[in-house]
Formats: sequence, structure tokens, C-alpha cells
Amino acid sequence: MIDIRNLSVTYGRMTSEGRGSQAAAVKNVSMTIRKGQFSALAGESGSGKSTVLMAIPGLLPPGTAVSGEILLDGKNLLALPENELNRIRWRRIAIVPQGAMNSFTPVLTVGRHVEEVLSVHLGLSRKEALDRITPLFALAGLDGELARRYPHELSGGQKQRAAIALALACSPDYLLCDEPTTALDVITQRGIIVTLKNLVDEKGLGLLLISHDLPLAASVADRLHILKDGELAEEGDPAEITARPRNPHTRALVKALLDLEEGS
Amino acid sequence: MTTLLDIRNLSAVFPGRRRREPVRALSGLTLTLERGESLSVIGESGSGKTTLMRCILGHVPPSEGSITLFGQDTASADGEQMTALRRRCAMVSQDPYGSLPPTLTVLGAAMEPWLLVRGKHAAKEGEERARNLLGELGLRDEAILSSRVRLSLSGGQRQRVAIARALILDPELLLCDEPTSMQDASTRGEIIEILAKRQRSGMSMIFVTHDLFLARKAAPRGMVLHRGTMVEEGLCRDILSAPKHPYTRALVAALPRLGQTACVSRQHP
Amino acid sequence: MKGLLKRWSFWCLLVLAALALFGTRLFDALPEAEVAAPFSKPLWLDRSLPPTMDLELSGGHPAAELDWVFGAPSRFSLRVETALPAPSRFVEWTIPGGKTFRLTPLNRGVELDGRDIAFKRSLGLPPFGDASSALFPERGTYRIGLSGEGEWEGSVKIRLEGGRWGLLGTDQRGRDIAALFVAGIRVSLLVGIFATLLATFLGTSLGLAAGYRGGWTDAVIMRAVDLLLSIPLLPILMALAALWGKGLWQLILILSVFSWMGTARTVRALTLTLRDAQYIEDLRGLGAPAGYILRRHLLPETLPVLLATMTLGVPGAILSEAGLSFLGLSDPRVISWGRMLHEAQSFGAFTAGAWWMLLPPGLGIALLCLVFLDLGKYLEERVDPRLRGGNVL
Repeated sequence: MIDIRNLSVTYGRMTSEGRGSQAAAVKNVSMTIRKGQFSALAGESGSGKSTVLMAIPGLLPPGTAVSGEILLDGKNLLALPENELNRIRWRRIAIVPQGAMNSFTPVLTVGRHVEEVLSVHLGLSRKEALDRITPLFALAGLDGELARRYPHELSGGQKQRAAIALALACSPDYLLCDEPTTALDVITQRGIIVTLKNLVDEKGLGLLLISHDLPLAASVADRLHILKDGELAEEGDPAEITARPRNPHTRALVKALLDLEEGS
Repeated sequence: MTTLLDIRNLSAVFPGRRRREPVRALSGLTLTLERGESLSVIGESGSGKTTLMRCILGHVPPSEGSITLFGQDTASADGEQMTALRRRCAMVSQDPYGSLPPTLTVLGAAMEPWLLVRGKHAAKEGEERARNLLGELGLRDEAILSSRVRLSLSGGQRQRVAIARALILDPELLLCDEPTSMQDASTRGEIIEILAKRQRSGMSMIFVTHDLFLARKAAPRGMVLHRGTMVEEGLCRDILSAPKHPYTRALVAALPRLGQTACVSRQHP
Repeated sequence: MKGLLKRWSFWCLLVLAALALFGTRLFDALPEAEVAAPFSKPLWLDRSLPPTMDLELSGGHPAAELDWVFGAPSRFSLRVETALPAPSRFVEWTIPGGKTFRLTPLNRGVELDGRDIAFKRSLGLPPFGDASSALFPERGTYRIGLSGEGEWEGSVKIRLEGGRWGLLGTDQRGRDIAALFVAGIRVSLLVGIFATLLATFLGTSLGLAAGYRGGWTDAVIMRAVDLLLSIPLLPILMALAALWGKGLWQLILILSVFSWMGTARTVRALTLTLRDAQYIEDLRGLGAPAGYILRRHLLPETLPVLLATMTLGVPGAILSEAGLSFLGLSDPRVISWGRMLHEAQSFGAFTAGAWWMLLPPGLGIALLCLVFLDLGKYLEERVDPRLRGGNVL
């Protein structure tokens, strides 16, 4: 499991005139991501969710102050040198960052994207890589034929699934997804969430979903964490949290959402 | 004359660019809105909702059918008449980043339509109205009111300013497209309530959203728009509880509900 | 804008501007005045050469001594100014070793020059001899004084022209180069800033018109841009300078007419993207006149970009002016760095080895360009945070 202990992150702002103001994005957050479990991290925009996700594979910008520990099999990822982190990225921990569906290179087909990842990280030849594409795409709910399409020829939902397929290329143990369903229509959203859930149930992946949509996160997660202003406001079983929220903010939030759903 | 808006068999076709097919943004749409009445349009991107709003305001000419706004046919209205009609309406578009002028201050942005229509001599009254509106929407801090729109406003704050900008001329018809999308879930209801207050004073509203729960709260009557056609209409609560069209059914089933956690499992793809 | 104060270019520009405005007061004579021998080296350059010196004797100050450690000066001249001549008194020159020469009685309006044959004969020299070497045969202490006693009103001005003068030496006409340099800042700054201002004004107006109105206006303006861009700048400037005259304001006008195109294109592109913004459409729908939209919204949006482009355009204007002046196509009465380079080249600075004539204006042009480039870079960074090289999260 990925064990995050007392993680605190402060961004430093460098300008050509020297250091600007510093903002503590994450304050003393502890949580675990277990294999075979669907974990979700919900919170408003600016609450620090993306920061937590980016801290795990060591992708925070240079100059950021990070304290605490992120343990993977007993090793602290925050203390690992870059070359060792590189061996963990893609192969043990894979991410689908925010806006991944718009980050494809427009001049390569989505299949080529996958081939590239496979050849760089697993050293596979072109032939070996091509064989892997169809089952990989199937995992992400995509038809293997679509590998020959360019990114602009795919719909939003298809692109997002392609991004998931890309992340799954090296059969990682953990998948971290940052807002994978934002900007997609409701029905497509549901489809992607179901795909992710199947990955957890059938492949035993440890999944972390980041979303600002609390009902979405609650509807699918085994374990829900709610972040507010960089601090962990709530964590536990989604049904528990909905029924008995402990934090006053969460209470107000849950009430507002339930009122809307019930039409009062 | 109590019919505010009368749309008959509206179609809007955009010519295809290069070798592409022409795009049918709207097909055969018919709807009527009486004075003081509101309507929720349930639609997502690609449904034709933006085209619908732009047609109502006369920015896009109908390819077929007619739109009668405040008793005037928009296709035959000249520039001046159209401007007069538009001044009685207001629109809050989906993207708050493009709908506010970056060079003005927050207060200035909210006041601008008033100054434009009423003239510079009404500036004082305009400023008071703007301050009241922004205060109602939760923007009271003087530092924020006098800061430039382009800098440091969050998406949620921008949406509120856009709403203030739309409400300042007391429009008879308000068209809004996902006006609460960037708000926190706990404050969404506040904005709807502010709009509801004006609805009670006689303002008509067309509220576009993909969230059926929100649609139900915004207006009792609703219409589902899918790929340019109206696939279902009726009371929002009826659409939610007993959807008829396959698209509507899929939409209702896909809506995440806090009240039904862990409803996504292998059995319900 | 606080970062501006930390930029070296800002302070440099302030210093140069101050020099342009008040610098000529630092010098006693006008820049065009002849102050010393032509091609004099700067004082700090060759200490074996005698510097140009002026001495003055008067009734109250009848003698002066010189410790002379150099070779002979290149020219010796003397002038007596008095209302009351004293023909019995003389100006006496004593060389080391004691020998004294009588140079002239104190008569009114006497002007002696070391090159006069009469003067040479009075010293006992053949007609083609060198009066200066005779007067300065060796190193040592020399004395010049008025003989006789008594009151006398008037002054004797002696000038010893050596090979050195001032901070930067002199040019082919004996003008102080340091003074010329300072005077030249004015022209470079003037042309650079005004030509660019005018070009920016033209470019912005035309760019806004083309971008906002589209259609025929856009087509006509863009074809004009294409046309002007295809004309090579320096040849056309030369032709126009020949036809139109070499005045400074003509030059500024011509330079601006041929440099507005880049700004126009940039502004047009910006206007095209802004024109389709939702809020612009809303304003137009409400009946806002085009002028209002251009003035209140589109123009302020283009200003930050304009400021940076303008500052970066100044070096171009400076170089064009310098280039034209160097080719001799500028007003000879106006001192500019380019003109200084032209004169240096035409009047044999190279053969005379007078590099101090070439280096100051050349470096000056380079410095001014660098100042504006640095300022422009700073302004660009402020407009586009991505260029700052910092964190963009």
C-alpha cells in the first residue's frame, strides 16, 4: 500500500525579482491507498487535492517544500533519488493527470503513444508493443481499432479512456487519477467511473480518484477522504460520512447536496 | 400580450467547413414562455443549448422556423429594434473567463451594461445597484470590488460577477448556461435562491444545465435537449422520477447521488 | 514596476537622458568649437606627448613656470589683449639653461603664431625651421614672464598645442570628442524614441481598424503592410533622404512610415482574437458603438504588448539613424553619433590611427541599443509571466 504520513507541501513562488509569498497547499495529511481498494479524495477547487496526488510520484515543481513521508513497501518516496523514482513511475505507480485527455501529441496516433511508453519503460520492441495494445485498450473500455486514430479524431470520453490505457501500459500496482471525468458529459462520466471500478475489482489495482464532485466520489469509493483548505476534514466509508458527517463544513455540504437531491 | 417568447419549429444549420458535413445544431424546436414563467433546459455540450440562446438573442439567424421575442419576430427586426429587444434580456454564458472584460474592475464590470444603456449621468445610481447586487452575491470586500477582473479572481467569483452584470439592468428574460458550475456545492443553492427572488418579482428565466436536480430547483418546467432536438418535456420532477426517452433515462441513471452511495458496482455498468 | 528600479538599463537610461539634457554644461566650449589640435589623443593615452595647454599672464600675474617633461608642442601661439600698450615691456621666454628670448612687446592686438615666418626670424630661425622645437629644446623648467616693472592692464594668452586633450581626444577639426559624444546622445534618443512612438501610433490605429472592421479595410491595410515590408529599408531611406532633404524631422517621419508594419500585424492579430470574446458580443448586442469597444476594451488589452514592442523597436530606429548618418545622409549641422562615425571615416581617422574617434560613438550606439533591449525584455516579462522563468502553478 501507499502510506502517506503527515504530508505537508508549501509552494515557493520564484519571480525574476526574488521569492514571493509562500502558500501552504497541504497541511499534515495522512492517508493510505490500498491495493484492491477504490480510494477517493474529494474537495473544493484549491483544497490541495492535486498537490497530494502529484507529491506521490515526486512530480511537484522544484523549489517546493515538502515534509512528511510517503511510504511504498517501506521505502520513503520523498527521499528517493530521481533515477529510482523513474523506475517506480509508470511501472508501480501510474497517474492520469488533470487534463490528460488534452495532452496527447497531436501528430502521433494514440497507439503510438502507448508504443512509446512500452518501449521506453519496458524496453519492448515494436512488435511486442503492438501485441499489447488491444488488450490494454480493452481494459480501458476502448476498441483496439481506435489505436490507429489521432487524438483529435476521438471524442472526449474516448480520449480519457486512451489516457487511462496509457497509464495502465506497464501494469502498475497503483493508479492515481486527477479529475478524470471533469468536462465530460454525465453519461460518459458514469462509463469511465464504472471502468475504473472494474479495474479495481478485477485487476486488484489500488486506485485513487481525485474529484471536486462529492456525490461522484461517494458513489464509487470504498474509502472517501475529504480535503478542506489543505487539511483532511473527513475520512471513512462514504455512506458513514453521508449519514454522520463529523466536520461542520462537511455537514453543511452534505445537507446542501441531499436537499437538492430530495427536492426540498 | 403575455407571451414573452414564442419559438416555432426552430432549426439552425451551420455550413460545414472544408469537407465536413453541415452541422444541425437545432432541429424543429418549439417552445413557449409566458411572462414570469421559467424553463429549465437540460442539455450538455453538443446539445444545441448555446445555439438556442444565441438564436433567441438574434446573434444567429434561424435556418427554419421563427422566434418571436416580446412580440417581435427576430428575423425581421432591424439593428435598432434588435438592440432594444436585447436590452430587455441578459445572458450568463457557460465560460466565466470570456464573459467578463479583463480591463475593468469588478465593480466596473458589473456596472458597465447600466452605464451603456442609461448613460454616464446615471453612474451614481448604477454604482449603488452594482454594489447591492455584488453584496447580495457575497462579494462585499472593497479590495475585491476594486481589483481588476483579469487578476486573481477565482472561477466561482467570476461567475458571480457575471451574474451581477446580467442582473443589473433588471432583465425581463434571463438566459443562463450552467451559472453555478464553478461554485462550491454548498453555495450553489444560494445563487439559485437569488435568481428565484427575481423570478418571484416577475423575471422569466431559461436555465440550462446538465444536472437534473439543479434544473428542478431552478424552474418547475423542464425540457431535455439532445443533439439539437427536444426529446422530452414536462415538469422537472416528473422527468426525474419517470423519464421516458432513452437518453433521459440514461441521464437520470448516470446522475451521481450522495443519497445512494456505492451504487456503482460491477452489476450496473 | 518596482523591478524597474533594479534594472541596470533603467539607471543607465536616466544617466544618458540627464546627460542629453544638461550634459553640454559640463564643458566650457560649444561642442562644435575647436579646442585643440586635430586628432589629439585623450589625456590618459600617451603621456609622452604634451597636452594642449593654455596659459595666461596679466598685470597681476606677470610670470608663470612650466615643468616640461614632454617633447615640443605641435604649435605655439600667443596673443596680447590690452587697451594700454606698453611697448617698453616684453614677453620673455626663458628656457632651461638660462637663455632668454624676447617674444614680443606688449602692443595692442599682437598675435604670434609659431608658424609665422616673421616670428621664426625674430627667434633667429631659418624660414622652414620649427619655432616650437626652438622654444622647447629639452625637458626642464621653463619660464615665461613680462619684463619690466609697473602697472599694466591687459592679458597675454599663450596656447601650447600638444598631442593630447580631454577625456576622449579631438576629431579632425580639433573638436572635443567627449563634448560631441554627449551632444550626440540627444539625437539618438530623440530619433529613437520619436520615430518609434510615431510608428507605434500608426501601427496601433491601423491594426485595430483592420482587426475590428475586417472586410475591405482589413484587406487594404494588410496589402499596404505587405507592400511596405517588401521594400528594403536602407535604400529607400537613402533615396528619400536625397529627394527630401536631410533634416532631422524628415528622418523621423520616414523612419516611422517604414516601421509601423510589425506593430500593425501584432495588434491586428490580438484584435481578431479579442473581437470574438463573449463579452464583446454582449456589448455589441447591447448597442455599444464600435468606438467605445475599441477605446475601452480592445486598446487597453493591446497596451501591455505595445509597451514592450515599442521599447524593443527603439534600437532599430537608433541603428537606422546611425546607419544613414554614417552614409553621410544626415544633416551635417546636427551632431549625432552616426555623423561622428561618418566624419571619422571620411576624414582619415583610420590612417591617422585615431581610434578614439571611432570607439566612443560606436560603443555609445551599442550601449543605447542594449539599454532599450534590456528594458524591453523586462517589460515583456511583465506582460507574459511565462517568460519570467518562474513557477507558473
